[in-house]
Amino acid sequence: MPTTTAESPGTRAVRPFRDGLVALDPPRLLGSRCAACGTTAFPPREFCPSCRAVEHIDKAELATAGRIHSFTIVRQAPPGMPVPYVLAWVDLPDDGVRLLTTVVGTQPEEVELDQPVELELTPFGTADDGASLMGFRFRVTTRGETR
Amino acid sequence: MILDPVHVAGAGMIRFGKHPAETTLETMGAQAATAAMRDAGVRAADVEALYVGHVFGGPVAGQRIGARIGLAGKPVSNHENYCSSGATALREAWIAVGAGLYDLVLVVGVEKMTDRVKGGVQPDPNDLDASIGFLFAAGHALSARRYMADYGATREQIAAVAVKNHAHSVANPYAQYQKPVSLGEVLGARPIAEPLGLLDCSPISDGAAAVVVASRAGLRRLGIRSAPRVAACALVSGTVQAGLGDVNEEDISRRAGAEAYRIAGVAADEIDVVEMHDCFTIAEIVRLEGLGVLPRGEGARLTEAGYTSLGGALPVNPSGGLLSRGHPVGATGAAQVCELFWQLTGRAGGRQVEGATTGLAYCKGGSVSGTDGASVTTVILTT
Ligand SMILES: [Zn+2]
Repeated sequence: MPTTTAESPGTRAVRPFRDGLVALDPPRLLGSRCAACGTTAFPPREFCPSCRAVEHIDKAELATAGRIHSFTIVRQAPPGMPVPYVLAWVDLPDDGVRLLTTVVGTQPEEVELDQPVELELTPFGTADDGASLMGFRFRVTTRGETR
Repeated sequence: MILDPVHVAGAGMIRFGKHPAETTLETMGAQAATAAMRDAGVRAADVEALYVGHVFGGPVAGQRIGARIGLAGKPVSNHENYCSSGATALREAWIAVGAGLYDLVLVVGVEKMTDRVKGGVQPDPNDLDASIGFLFAAGHALSARRYMADYGATREQIAAVAVKNHAHSVANPYAQYQKPVSLGEVLGARPIAEPLGLLDCSPISDGAAAVVVASRAGLRRLGIRSAPRVAACALVSGTVQAGLGDVNEEDISRRAGAEAYRIAGVAADEIDVVEMHDCFTIAEIVRLEGLGVLPRGEGARLTEAGYTSLGGALPVNPSGGLLSRGHPVGATGAAQVCELFWQLTGRAGGRQVEGATTGLAYCKGGSVSGTDGASVTTVILTT
């Protein structure tokens, strides 16, 4: 994976907010897949949550297209987290993965169950060494838009 | 191994709520402990060990409490399993007494929150979900919205949990809130994580609760002829979830219930009263379903119909639950067992479940990213 590692102070490095969780170019979520039963996990695990295998767990790039399984509009959060924001369970049907994520791209009041969404990267603050960190979120795709 | 019978010989609490800063964790813990020891008629000199559950109490809070109530020098241990810390402390006491190590021990659950927790408790900041914006209220809101879509439940039916539990605690002198709230008040409360509002959420509270746990020999020593038995005290942790299943499957609750039923030799339909971890309204519904005491998808409708109210077929949270008794996290598990003790000994006053002989208490503590929870305890008390 093309991850940028820590460089000398002053260089504008960019790296994922957690190692091994996202690839930056192209933007992908990184999971793990069990060769025995085909179960895909996100975040990547060293064992299979379905059949508990610990061998032949491979890295996997996840599909970027998802749909909203459930969502909430968070109206009260601890200091430092601007509200409102939409938090959702997003399903990636191609991988059989459900993940927790924030959702953007529409007014919170217009988010709906089963709405199609697409992965995108988003700045996630700055590391102690000055590197810019990248996280992920999902964006509501306009109706009829295909990729 | 099979444990020897273990009993609750006495219970004591202080009223949950917002206590002034000078009412410290140690003060509250000592007050509840003293009340429980007085109730059981046990002197500090005869208490053989102290088990203390707390989350935010800092290092060796249990020893600080023990030193105040004459237990210095005895074995004291501190137990943290987030909201099931108090019940986890009870479990360790149950195992030790059942194994024959001690005959009389004290369990204390205690928490001082109002001077140190603002706007709701959080998962550990290193947790992946927490870094993404997960809050406990948000997690339960996701559960509620999906439950409504999957089972045709209404927002009003979910809000009925808060109306019921606040109505119950009008008769509970230990409850933080002792006033009824209306359905309109729950629905109209400030939104926290939609569809859930402020009155769907349990409050930030201070408080302490304690029970004296005894073997048969311990009961004899106290001159107590009969006392409720701790028939089971089960503990499970969450499993890593995979796939696109039902977010309200509550497999962790199912496993916690099954383990308690197995140990106690009690069936789900033999339970007369439940003290349920209703940290949020929807949580009471889906956890009761997970335990198998309500049919899947019918909990919201049955709550609205009064099935889980005092006087209903299966009263749930006669104490007011976390929503209305309050939720000092480390104290809650111990408070639930106090309530079951009072229910099974006919001492619950205006909130008494008539003829209750078997009670179940359920606590769920914490979250771990990717799993269906951190810890769940289930306690079954029988007469
Ligand atoms: Zn597998």
